[in-house]
Amino acid sequence: MLLEIDDISVYYGKIAALKGVTVAVDEGEIVALIGANGAGKTTTLKTISGLRSVAKGAVRLAGRDITNVPGHERVALGLCQAPEGRGIFPGLTVLENLHMGSYIRKGDVSADVERVFSLFPRLKERQKQAGGTLSGGEQQMLAIGRALMAQPKVLLLDEPSMGLAPKIIQQIFEIIQEINEQGVTVLLVEQNAAQALALAHRAYVLETGRVVRSATGRELLNDPSVRAAYLGGDISH
Amino acid sequence: MSTALSKGRLKGAGSGRPRTPVPSFGGLPTPVRWVVYIALVALAAALPSIPGVADIMSPQNDWASVLVFPIGLYILMALGLNVVVGYAGLLDLGYVAFFAIGAYTGAILGSEYGWGFWEALPVGILLSMIAGLLLGTPTLRLRGDYLAIVTLGFGEIIRVTANNTDWLGGPRGVTNVPRPPAIGDLTFGALSTKPYWYLVLGLIVLVIIIGKRLERSRVGRAWAAIREDEDAAELMGVPTLKFKLASFAIGAGIAGAGGAVYASRTTAILPDNFPFVLSALILAAVVLGGSGNIAGVILGAFLVAWLPERFREFQEFRQLFFGAALVLIMLFRPQGLLPNARRKAELQEGSGGMGTLGAEVGAAATQTVEVDKK
Repeated sequence: MLLEIDDISVYYGKIAALKGVTVAVDEGEIVALIGANGAGKTTTLKTISGLRSVAKGAVRLAGRDITNVPGHERVALGLCQAPEGRGIFPGLTVLENLHMGSYIRKGDVSADVERVFSLFPRLKERQKQAGGTLSGGEQQMLAIGRALMAQPKVLLLDEPSMGLAPKIIQQIFEIIQEINEQGVTVLLVEQNAAQALALAHRAYVLETGRVVRSATGRELLNDPSVRAAYLGGDISH
Repeated sequence: MSTALSKGRLKGAGSGRPRTPVPSFGGLPTPVRWVVYIALVALAAALPSIPGVADIMSPQNDWASVLVFPIGLYILMALGLNVVVGYAGLLDLGYVAFFAIGAYTGAILGSEYGWGFWEALPVGILLSMIAGLLLGTPTLRLRGDYLAIVTLGFGEIIRVTANNTDWLGGPRGVTNVPRPPAIGDLTFGALSTKPYWYLVLGLIVLVIIIGKRLERSRVGRAWAAIREDEDAAELMGVPTLKFKLASFAIGAGIAGAGGAVYASRTTAILPDNFPFVLSALILAAVVLGGSGNIAGVILGAFLVAWLPERFREFQEFRQLFFGAALVLIMLFRPQGLLPNARRKAELQEGSGGMGTLGAEVGAAATQTVEVDKK
């Protein structure tokens, strides 16, 4: 397994956000974490990228225990996250945002910039524009592109569909698939369960800080209880 | 920064109403800019000597004295606080503490141990920086309001400690602080205040050069990222705590230098010279001038220092006029008088252009409804 989260518990003060979550991501996979608000999806991702520390459990990347490695050092090990709410730098231009993505790397990154621009031609058009002036969809593209600039082994995506129109969501998900086909492992957190399950090889369902189901994306898509809870369907049947 | 780039930013950051492109100073060729810089420094150096200026600027007090303190030292401190607030986006409400540490170090080393000004100055800077690191190491894990409260407390602790420590002179402070030795014909004296202005001006120029270099460096980019989104910066591999500490220490060192000069200018310091309101005024200078932009910060500090002097003839009403002037500026120029181009975009984005200083409205503001622009 490339990325393993082994029985982690995370607390905000005395409130447990995660109560022993175990997730594993194999190389080349797209894995989705789905669940309602407050289920602990974002906390899981933040723990993996090092923004939250664990009370119990371990995070391992390619067999190495990185539980106590500070967040900024995990980037060099191959983890990069596009944060929730997109988290682009609003005052930096699109190009400067991308260069921040390759902050830890030395040397020429123009090939990577070109690669991002070929994935997201819209960003090329707007490369000199301040990040904060982009539309929501463009900001999401920038957040993903910026994360790719670090040449991650595992790309962590936190709600890439948040606040976007269906057409744009479709586009973003197609690009995530394309990025995955180019060899990047993807761990995806989504409230938009239908889209995420259709895309993911495997998925985990989180409820109040615990993993309650894990199966292939297709299986969960067709699971009546998951459909009822997260896909808003099948109640009449 | 190329003209095209800054124009693009301005256009992008526009609030809907068309903006006339401002001719960019940064777009001028380097030699031309340097001539302008040197001319500005020369003009500043000549300020106390140009006939007629004193009558307009400071009819009531000695103009050269007013130029040194408050104007010059406020500018120096505002430039230092700009590194903390403007670059790294950290809200420090106890900045006066570092000014006090520099001043007390210079004063004690001078009057008790017989050190000269030039020997005491680097020690004052160093101790202020160490104090910055000591305060920053535990507190810079806090953000926004919490950091502001802790730094506010630190400012008070330093003042109260000075007030209650016998070897710091207690409430009577330290007297007989030596003046800097004469440089050629320039004698530093109670009535000979021009040399102090040259000294302060030299420090200001030095701090501007350091600030500009930092701003354009890898460190400056990391600060911009931290200011705009600290979590995202960490996720990009920026060691955020280290860089926040660096900004704190650099800002503290600059205030410490100002403090040492202040002590040698007044030759006697009291704990009451370092009230909270001084921290607030310097912060006001940075914000109203244009946080993150050196020219703006200088203008802001100048106004904050000079307006109360100029309004002196209104006696007890002068604070009222001063307050009204600040309110009016912030009403009409919330981004500051001379804002930084990046700040404009940040202001648009919803964090108030103040990084972690701003109200945490970022998350909600980014959940805007998608408008397909095609």
